[in-house]
Amino acid sequence: MSARTQRFVLFPLGKKRFALPAAEVSELSRPDELQTFPHTTHLLAGVLMRRGKIVPVLDVAQIVIGPNAPQRRFYLIANRRFERDVEWTAIPVTGECELTSAEVIAPTGKLPNYVTGLLSLDDEIVEVIDLNRLAATEAA
Amino acid sequence: MRSARTSRKPAVTQHDVILFSVNKTTFAIAAGAVDEIRNLDGLTPFQPSFAARLMKVKHTLVRENKDPDQTYFVVDSAAHLKLKSSTPGRLMVLRGVKAAVLVDAIDRMTQIAAVHPLPRAFSGDEHDWYRGLAVVDGRVIPVVNEHSFLSRGEVTVLNAQKQARAQGVGA
Repeated sequence: MSARTQRFVLFPLGKKRFALPAAEVSELSRPDELQTFPHTTHLLAGVLMRRGKIVPVLDVAQIVIGPNAPQRRFYLIANRRFERDVEWTAIPVTGECELTSAEVIAPTGKLPNYVTGLLSLDDEIVEVIDLNRLAATEAA
Repeated sequence: MRSARTSRKPAVTQHDVILFSVNKTTFAIAAGAVDEIRNLDGLTPFQPSFAARLMKVKHTLVRENKDPDQTYFVVDSAAHLKLKSSTPGRLMVLRGVKAAVLVDAIDRMTQIAAVHPLPRAFSGDEHDWYRGLAVVDGRVIPVVNEHSFLSRGEVTVLNAQKQARAQGVGA
């Protein structure tokens, strides 16, 4: 593994896969009961109870795929940073995730600012996502 | 892979709360924040003159048998929480603020062990609406902030409108 190679978790949303740095991922969770209550924060679908914690659910598919994203089957539990705090965030995904090592390529062209890099795998280009930027994209 | 680290611990003391429902969602409110739970008798229609934020105020209440010199402004909780209109069946008169809240139903009184801070991912109006979240029988329930229904400033504005109308001044 070269010095520029990093570890990522690849997660599927419909026909595409996206990546998060492995250090930001805690676990893949089976479907839990989504609990909802009134709020006005964009992209948040509700919360899960996970290991005694209340975990917000960030439905990124609305942004990276669009409103017609297929049904999400699992939750990827990510560590989202808020200044000094780190908080679990559940990301609904449509299938199994995969751990991989790859070199990051700087994003090129007109990619959204939440794409912080690209992974060139065997037969696909995978976008590396920054959760905070993605959440801010919708709020802007 | 690593666990999340956070310094935001829940407050660990027993809290008496009242569970109530609005539009099929259950909420909790500190029992000490509620002075009285009553039916909808005795409400007088009231329409605030301006400020969209105050359109959630639908009635006034004067409790002739308890504090007849006080006017309580009645907030539609569904409008406050930006929910579809519901069918109120009970009124919670709040303590410490001249406001009462229309809710669909009162569920029960219970104790909660902790009020968990709202996760940081939530960044909207809910930070004003809720003190935090409680877990009751495995369900996550928002604990409402009783001061969010009407601020003292808003009560002052509403009182001024009410007095102006009583004196025949268009407000």
